[in-house]
Amino acid sequence: MKLKTKLTLFNAISKLVIVTLFVLLLPSIIENINRNYTDDRLIKQKDKLLQIVREQGIKTYIEDGQSYGSYLPLKEEYISLDEVEPDYYADTIQNERRLVERDTIDYRILSHTFVAGKKNYLLEIGKSTETIGDTTGPLQTIAFLLLLGMIMLTIIADQVYSNYILAPLSRIIRTKLVGAKFPSFTTYSRIKTTTSDFQHLDLSIHKMIATIERAFQKEREFISNASHELMTPISIIQTKIENMFEQEDVADELKVRLLEMQRILNRLKSITKTLLLISQIENEQFLKEDEISLNDMLQELYEEISIRLQEKNIGFSIALTEDATLVNVNKFLLFNLLFNLVNNAIKYNKPDGAIIITGEPFKGGYRININDTGIGIAEDELPFIFNRFKKLKASLKQDSFGLGLPIVKSIADFHQIDVQVQSEQGVGSTFILSIPAKLLRA
Amino acid sequence: MNVLIIEDERALADEVELFLSKNNFICEVCYNGASASEKIAINLYDFILIDLGLPDYDGLDLLKEAKLNRPEAACIILTARAEVNDRIKGLDLGADDYLPKPFSLLELQSRMQAITRRKFGLVNQTVNLDGFIVNLTDRTITYMSNAVSAITKKEFDLIAYLILHKNRTLTRAQLSEHIWGSVVNDDYDSNFIDAHIKNIRKKLSAFAAADWLETVRGLGYRIKTNV
Repeated sequence: MKLKTKLTLFNAISKLVIVTLFVLLLPSIIENINRNYTDDRLIKQKDKLLQIVREQGIKTYIEDGQSYGSYLPLKEEYISLDEVEPDYYADTIQNERRLVERDTIDYRILSHTFVAGKKNYLLEIGKSTETIGDTTGPLQTIAFLLLLGMIMLTIIADQVYSNYILAPLSRIIRTKLVGAKFPSFTTYSRIKTTTSDFQHLDLSIHKMIATIERAFQKEREFISNASHELMTPISIIQTKIENMFEQEDVADELKVRLLEMQRILNRLKSITKTLLLISQIENEQFLKEDEISLNDMLQELYEEISIRLQEKNIGFSIALTEDATLVNVNKFLLFNLLFNLVNNAIKYNKPDGAIIITGEPFKGGYRININDTGIGIAEDELPFIFNRFKKLKASLKQDSFGLGLPIVKSIADFHQIDVQVQSEQGVGSTFILSIPAKLLRA
Repeated sequence: MNVLIIEDERALADEVELFLSKNNFICEVCYNGASASEKIAINLYDFILIDLGLPDYDGLDLLKEAKLNRPEAACIILTARAEVNDRIKGLDLGADDYLPKPFSLLELQSRMQAITRRKFGLVNQTVNLDGFIVNLTDRTITYMSNAVSAITKKEFDLIAYLILHKNRTLTRAQLSEHIWGSVVNDDYDSNFIDAHIKNIRKKLSAFAAADWLETVRGLGYRIKTNV
C-alpha cells in the first residue's frame, strides 16, 4: 500500500474513532450540562423567591398556615411552600418522582428550608426532567452529522496535502532509484523540496550512488590499466619466441616446445585482450557511428565461421522476414557480439546439429533469435552465464575461459540491446536479441 | 631500407631490431623520445616505428615531427594504449598503419611490405607457384589461365600471408592471429587452420598438385618457392 494511502487511511480511521467516542459520550455530557444549567436556574429562582419573602414578608405566599403551591399548566414546573417543624432542615437538589394530579412525573427538585416570622418553611422548586432531556437526541444527531462532514473535509484536505508533501519522495524514487541505469548515472540533480527528511534522503542516495560509481570506476580503471600493462611484457615474450623460432640452430624438438609456449601465450593474450575490450566498452571508448544492413553482417559472419560449421557438419540458416538497417552502432562490436553467440552455438552443438537465425520486426524494434540444437544450459546455471570467468560445467570441456558471453553482454548493454536466453538441456538454447527502434533506420 | 625503431621497452626494441635486421632492414633504435626527435631531424628513413607510450615524449608529437621533416617515411604506430581515440588520432595525423601490442613480428613485416607495395604502386604483383599464378593485388589465383574461383576470402588471406613469408614455417598460432585477429572471442586453442589448408589443397588439386604448400610436421605450414 502506498505511504500516501496509508497516511490518509490512518487519519480517517483515527478521526472516526475519536468522533464516535465523542458522539457516544455526548448524552452524558449534555445531561451534565443540562443538570448544571437547571440547578443554576433553580438556585436563582430560589434566591429570587427568598428575596421577595424578605422584602414583602411570607404573607405574600402564605396566610394562616396554609401551604402554597403553583404549577405551570403542563406541570413541567412547580413551586411549593410549606410550614415545617422548626428543627427540620433541608438544602438539596435531587431527582425525585412526584405524583401530581394523577400524573407521575420525574422532577429535579430544589428543597430549601428557611425561617420567616419565627416559623420554619420548606421551599420546593421542581422542574420536569423530561423537558431537560428533550434536546439531547437531536443534538446528538446534529453533532454526529456535522462532525462526519468535517471528517470528510479533512480527509480530502489530508489527501491533497500528503499528495503535495510526498511528491518529492515519488520523484526521488522515480528518477534516482527506478530510472537510473546501473552503474552509469547522470550527474546529480537536486530534487526540489522543503522537507528536510527528503532533502536528506535525496542527498544520501546521491552519496551512495557516488560511492558505488567510484567503486565501479576504480574497478574499470584497474582492469584497463592491468590489461594495458600486461600488453608490453606479452609483446616482448611473443617477439622473443618468434625470433627464436626463426633461428637456424634451434632443433625441431625445441621448436615444438616453443610452439607450446606460443599457444599458452596466445591464451594469455586472448584473456588480456578480451578484458581490455570489455573495459573499453564499459568506459564507452567506442563510437557508435556505423550503419550496416543486418543481412550483410550475418553473411559476413557466415563466411567467417563457415569453417567451424564444416568441422562439425552443422547446418546454418538465416531467415529474416525483412532486413533491418542498423544505425548508430559500432560494426566491429556488433560483429563480435554475433560472432561470439554463433561461435557458442557451434561449440556447444552436437555433430550434424543446426543453427537457425531468424529475425523479424516487432513493436518497438527488431528481434533476432539465434537458435541451436546444442546441449543447452542447466536451469540453475542460467542466471550466471553472463558472469566473467564463470565456467559452466559444459564449457569446461571446451577451450573456453568464460568470457564469451560477458563480451556479448557488455556489447549489448553498450547498444542498449536486450539479451534473453531460453534453454532446455539436451534440446538446445535460443538467444533472443531485441534491438531498440532507435538503432533502426526507419 | 632504413628503419627507425622508437620504443622505450629495450627488450622489445631489441627483438624488433633483431627480426628486421635478419630480414634485410637497416635498423636504428631509440629508447626515448628526445633522441628519436633528434634522429628524425637528421637522418633519412623509409620506416619509422613509433611507440605512443614514451616516458618523456608524446608519441603523437613525434609522429607530427616525422610527418613534417620526413614526409617520405612511412610511420607505423605501435602501442599498448589500444584506445580507440588514439588510433583515430594517429591515422588522422598521417600514420600509415597502426599495430596494437602485443603484435606478431610477422604481422609487422607484412604491414611494412603492404606499405611498400602501396608506395611503389606495384600494379600487378604476381607470384608463380609451379604454374599457379597468385595475384596479390587482384587477389586471384589462376592456373593455365583458368581461375581457381572456389578459393574463399579467408583461404586467400592464408595463401597471401604464407607467400609474404615464403620459405618460412608459420605456426598455426601465427596464421590464426593473422586471419582471426580482429575477432575477440572466448576460445584460446581452437584452431581451424588445418581445416582451411585441407580445403585449399582440395580446391587446388582440381587443377594440379600443389606440392609447394608444405606441412611442416608438428610445427605448421610453409610455402616453398625459389622465385
